[in-house]
Amino acid sequence: MELAVQLIVYGILMGLVFALIALGLSLIFGVMNIVNFAHGEFMMVGMYIAYLLSTFLPLDPLLSLPFAAGAGYLLGVVSYRLLIHHILRGPMVAQLFGTFGLMLFLRYLAMYIFTPDVRSIKQGILVGKTLSMGWINVDASKVFSAGVCVLAFAAVYWMIYRTKLGRGLRATSIDSEAAKYMGIDTKGMNALAWGIGGATVALAGALLAHFYYVTPTVGMLFTLIAFATVALGGFGSIVGAFIAGILIGLIMVISGQFVSELKFSFIYAVYFLVVVFRPRGLFGW
Amino acid sequence: MVRLRQLLIDIFSFRDRPRFERIGFLIFILIVLIFPWMVTSAYGRAVMIKFLLFALFGLGWNLIGGYGGQVDLGQAKNVGFGAYATALMIVWWKVPFWITVIPGIVIAAAESFVVAYPMFRLKGHYFAIATLCVALVWKELFIFWDWTGGARGVELPIRSGVDFVYMQFNSPIYYHYFILFLFLMQFFFVNWFRKSKLGYEVQAVRDNEDAAASLGINVYRTKVINYTIAGGLGALGGSFMAVYYLYIDPDAVMPLDLSILIAMTVMVGGAGSIWGPIIGAAILIPLDMYLGAWLGAQKRLGIDFMIYAMIMMVIAAKEPKGIWGIIERVRKKRTR
Amino acid sequence: MRIKSGVLFFVVILSLLIVLPNLSFAQKEVKIGVILPLSGPLAPIGKSLKDGAELAADIVNKKYPGIGIPIAEWEGIPGLGGAKIKLVFSDSRGDPAWGAEQAKRLIEDEKVVGLLGAYQSAVTKTASVEAERAGIPFVNPDSTSPDLSKRGFKWFWRVTPHETWFTRDLFDFLDGLVAGKSPGVKAVPKSELEPLAVAVENTEWGAASLTEIEKFAKERGWKIAEGFKYPHKATDLTSESRRLTGSKAPTFLFASYVSDAILFVKAMKEMKATPKVVWGQNAGFIAPDFWKTLGGDVNGIVSRDVFAAVLGKVKPEADRINKIYKERSGFDFDGSSARDFIGVQVWAHALDKAKSTDPKVLQKALNELHIPGKELIMPWKGVKFGSPFPGDTNQNELGSGIIIQYQGYPDGKPEIVFPFEMATSKLIYPFPGWK
Repeated sequence: MELAVQLIVYGILMGLVFALIALGLSLIFGVMNIVNFAHGEFMMVGMYIAYLLSTFLPLDPLLSLPFAAGAGYLLGVVSYRLLIHHILRGPMVAQLFGTFGLMLFLRYLAMYIFTPDVRSIKQGILVGKTLSMGWINVDASKVFSAGVCVLAFAAVYWMIYRTKLGRGLRATSIDSEAAKYMGIDTKGMNALAWGIGGATVALAGALLAHFYYVTPTVGMLFTLIAFATVALGGFGSIVGAFIAGILIGLIMVISGQFVSELKFSFIYAVYFLVVVFRPRGLFGW
Repeated sequence: MVRLRQLLIDIFSFRDRPRFERIGFLIFILIVLIFPWMVTSAYGRAVMIKFLLFALFGLGWNLIGGYGGQVDLGQAKNVGFGAYATALMIVWWKVPFWITVIPGIVIAAAESFVVAYPMFRLKGHYFAIATLCVALVWKELFIFWDWTGGARGVELPIRSGVDFVYMQFNSPIYYHYFILFLFLMQFFFVNWFRKSKLGYEVQAVRDNEDAAASLGINVYRTKVINYTIAGGLGALGGSFMAVYYLYIDPDAVMPLDLSILIAMTVMVGGAGSIWGPIIGAAILIPLDMYLGAWLGAQKRLGIDFMIYAMIMMVIAAKEPKGIWGIIERVRKKRTR
Repeated sequence: MRIKSGVLFFVVILSLLIVLPNLSFAQKEVKIGVILPLSGPLAPIGKSLKDGAELAADIVNKKYPGIGIPIAEWEGIPGLGGAKIKLVFSDSRGDPAWGAEQAKRLIEDEKVVGLLGAYQSAVTKTASVEAERAGIPFVNPDSTSPDLSKRGFKWFWRVTPHETWFTRDLFDFLDGLVAGKSPGVKAVPKSELEPLAVAVENTEWGAASLTEIEKFAKERGWKIAEGFKYPHKATDLTSESRRLTGSKAPTFLFASYVSDAILFVKAMKEMKATPKVVWGQNAGFIAPDFWKTLGGDVNGIVSRDVFAAVLGKVKPEADRINKIYKERSGFDFDGSSARDFIGVQVWAHALDKAKSTDPKVLQKALNELHIPGKELIMPWKGVKFGSPFPGDTNQNELGSGIIIQYQGYPDGKPEIVFPFEMATSKLIYPFPGWK
């Protein structure tokens, strides 16, 4: 019982962060059918922003969240304008490698600037504080991150389904050509999707930086997990990313408890099983 | 007799290709043949061997990724099957190298066949990510299992001198011709394949599934068989890796990076052309190895990868059909 | 005819790339190739290994008066008429295949006299195969998988003690605690330390560590409650930490590189784990990034090591070297940088003794090499290659390990707590826990 409660709590907390990481990937895919290998590197940028602001200014890492999101937005838009826009017309393989190149570039640019040293945030209201509730001891920043994740999801959901901009995004995602004829600036919409994608994942990075380490090579594993999350939930589905993120967090924590060596295999196996029966993921259309 | 003659022609003939391609290929073969005698630098020779190895990997991947038009990001698992089949059989039972190649290919093909069935229900990105997942699961299993040596990998006993039974040599020149031989085998196989009935079917399915189906092609079956063959071809290079490096572990022979590098060489060279993998490997492998050797141990790290990444991004943005796309375009302009 | 020019272009580029590296000019120097993980996940450790090797080369090449070890008095290698040591670094990327290619490049193209490296045991395996085939000496100061010296290679010498050794030290330490040998600590009942819980990363080195720990535990009669491998470079180690904490074992043993080590400590702190002993198998647990990142949370953690800056108290030479090192890199000398320092030192002594760069002569010199302990900065009896454990060949038999404990961080120093007679400080027992 104690074990079960602990695993579920840890799994959900971790899963919410995975979900937020996957959100941007899912959104970008939904709007323009492209998978971004550099997604984890966007997250890494968010982590470094939180680290730099909190170490050198020093600003509380909580206050660095908007800066990280802003930087992520900019990074997303800039990558779209400079690279993604040009690879969109190519075949899928070329798209994958374009974003793979972006990933390598960002990762090693970070290595060039910051050296490969592992760093972490040491000061902050929430850093290193533990909450205790009965059986469970949990890092306060994890609980806070989970809350921000839920809020971010709600905000993105509201934006997409309740605002005019969101309608434009949805129209672009359903039929880009038709949307263009209807007077929607599809290029602007694409850039917006990349901006939001970058912002959410950089936000996730800044949250993770509270309880994780920061290093240039941190992105790849998170990218892979985000892929599995998005594909499991269904590309382009916001609700799907949310549910799948939690599911993957749970699988990871539970399998980590029993067969740690194979825990990633369990994630991939679950993904594989789900898509075999539902080829477009849990909530894909 | 007639059929055998026809088969040989299908294997060795490039008559359907323009003359300049045939001349280019001849020049290429000549260069590769005399290469070890022209270049005495061991690193230069090692680069050449790795180039041929990745050209070979690319040829196999081209079946599924180029002719078949499916993005497969899991070719490294087949490399791993080949490498492990060879290494384990040599270590356990002292089986000669050439015999171990066959089970390697059979296992890789059989596994590909089995997973292809559910996997081809998926399309596009779902398929790409599924291939990636399958490869990563295999890698984790190979680390998990004890009988494969686990994370400690498999070490092959070193033999002195020149040994054609276990294909171990004290000079890279032997390895050069050894991998060249494997490369040419695969190359002529692919040359035969692209002109075979199955090859045409595969390309028809890639260009338009519905049209292919209306012509009576079993789309599903074609994809599965194609994937199976591509899987088997991946194992051959793996067997070579085992006797070349003499130590293998899952991180070395089945990592994600390897899958991506294989796909990338084909993409850079030009997917769907028999020359694509060769051109791509000729560019990426020397670039990677020389950049890494020169810039890899500087005070500031990462310059080598940044240059590499820039080149990838430029190719993806400007020339999504790869180098071969440029060549084709220029040629069309001239003939017009 | 575009393809022809394309082919031409390729040939020209390729030949340029091949010719250029050979244009280095002959000087009176001896080249030693050093293969290290300078990029990739282990790059932070690779950097300190490189710093250590560079310092040693500098000390051999220039006169550093007053340090008190012979190589500091040298200006170049005396046996070779004052030839300078030149280290040629090469990045292994942590990839065994890549490491082998680099070994080939260093041996044949850079014409190095010998090799040094390569930290990760898997890379050392492939790289030393190249050296063995080429008949070039490979001195390995920093890989600890027991397999490496059990292959019967004739061109491979390992300076550092290996995992069997360190694990024996660990159990000597635990048994010593029970017997009350640790100065200032009352004898601890065995039941207070039992059972053990072991988490190792699933790499060649991690797997070897687990095997050794299980073997010694059985031999010495220690129960193991949990012993598992986890995927290295993990995104999250909450459940693994939970598994350790949940096992209620009082002694946690780890074999992890730095990023995972940080995650484990953070997660155990989060879970308010209350172990009595937390022991790390070197690597991540001694990397500067580990204590820089975790600050006060490292207090009380013990790790096996081969060097600690506090050795200066008992070995003034070490202190003097450490001062120079700290000026150059900003950190204290640690087990990683010190080991590659010793690697270069072994090379210098071997070259001096051989008075030649001929591989055969060097092989003989290395086989017969004996550096007494007082000429080293390590707390060792010396360097002499032999067979300290069954099956070992060309393994340094005079080496030894220490166990350090982090005390008084963020401003503290690692203190030596084992061997007990060398202890520089009283062991903090039990583990103070995380606040």
